[in-house]
Amino acid sequence: MTDALTPELRLALVERLTALADDELILSHRDAEWVGHAPILEEDIALANIAQDELGHAGVWLSLRSALDGGSDPDTLAFRRGAHEYRCARLVELPRGDWAFTLTRQFLFDAHEAVWTDAARASTYAPLAEAVEKIVREERFHLQHTALWVERLGLGTEESRRRTQAALDELWPLAAQLFAPVPGEDALVAAGIVPDLAALRERWTTLVTAHLRKSGLNVPATPTQEPAPRTEHTEHLADLLREMQEVASQEEEGVLW
Amino acid sequence: MTGRPDTQWPRWEVFKQDAPGRPHQAVGSVHATDADHALVTARTLFARRPSAVSMWAVPDHAILARTQEQDERGEPLPDLASGDVRTYVVARKTTHKRSMTFVDVVGTVDADSPAAALALARERFPEPPALAWWVFPDAAVARTDDTPGTVESWFAPAKDKTYRQQSSYGVVGTHASKRNPRAGGPDRD
Repeated sequence: MTDALTPELRLALVERLTALADDELILSHRDAEWVGHAPILEEDIALANIAQDELGHAGVWLSLRSALDGGSDPDTLAFRRGAHEYRCARLVELPRGDWAFTLTRQFLFDAHEAVWTDAARASTYAPLAEAVEKIVREERFHLQHTALWVERLGLGTEESRRRTQAALDELWPLAAQLFAPVPGEDALVAAGIVPDLAALRERWTTLVTAHLRKSGLNVPATPTQEPAPRTEHTEHLADLLREMQEVASQEEEGVLW
Repeated sequence: MTGRPDTQWPRWEVFKQDAPGRPHQAVGSVHATDADHALVTARTLFARRPSAVSMWAVPDHAILARTQEQDERGEPLPDLASGDVRTYVVARKTTHKRSMTFVDVVGTVDADSPAAALALARERFPEPPALAWWVFPDAAVARTDDTPGTVESWFAPAKDKTYRQQSSYGVVGTHASKRNPRAGGPDRD
């Protein structure tokens, strides 16, 4: 099947897989920043589990990429790339903020990942269709957990509602970038390799809007301008990478232990 | 305590069923705001890697717990007769083996109070002698869905995980008796 891809499709799929992987990797790092700091031990462990799952998904996307780009090494991509080489969305780069911000972001992202992976089960590129099966079921559980939190924060106290609404107001415009095509994406959609983002965006909007309203939150207006390309980042990404890559950067050859 | 308010969320006892046909077993507790929250948290803490097909969460205040020692001391039981006959779930601990779990569910009885339910439980489940009993109203139990969607997203991912058993970790889980046979068996620790 890999041989059946034209060089253009292959290049575009590498772009899409990199975007998927970088979103998961950076969000995983932000979630992991809560370890030891979450409001209650049970949720500390639960969020660490979600972070670990997202990291695992990044590994899945990078392995698929490796089969297409001549054998890139996922660890090298994670730990040796600079901010300008990352393709993550701004949504996942922002600092973790408060608990409401982290859970609202994770909810919006999980809903996106759940609809994307569900649709990608029908991919004509067999390795992708197979790989998403495992991710789909984990995302369904993440989504239950984060949706539960958004509802309790939205309908909780005056303070929890205010914080959650503030988080939503900041995150909502940024979520549009998750549905922006990468270069060459149209051809991938036409070949049935990846889902059509415009259709997914509608599905996502219906899903999250219903839940946010049920949770007593006001859904902000959807931005009309085109989202920024994934090559442009917030100033927070470089700081995050400095910390995430700190140990690896001290060992040029890498160390096994 | 110095009168500082307790800000801890309510506690829920978690029961896990490992496979169809096996009893639900008490595996530990979680703090959670409500029943749905308790189940989601319980799944994360107790079934991320271990096998499960169903989980329950029971608020701790709904449980009447009784140990052999309390029986021996003749401690009085709470008198909470309600007049209404309800179904109570009965769980008991009969061995000190399998220290990772506490009581196993053995069945149900219909009674008009927790104390009456416990008395009936002693009659119906006399052997082997129980070290501890729990009885709680069936209506107090929050249960996971048994729909394929829930089983698939809550319990199936565990099957592919590494480090599912303590023994998978190279440095823990080896009993002293394995290194020195004279140190005794697993029941003596």
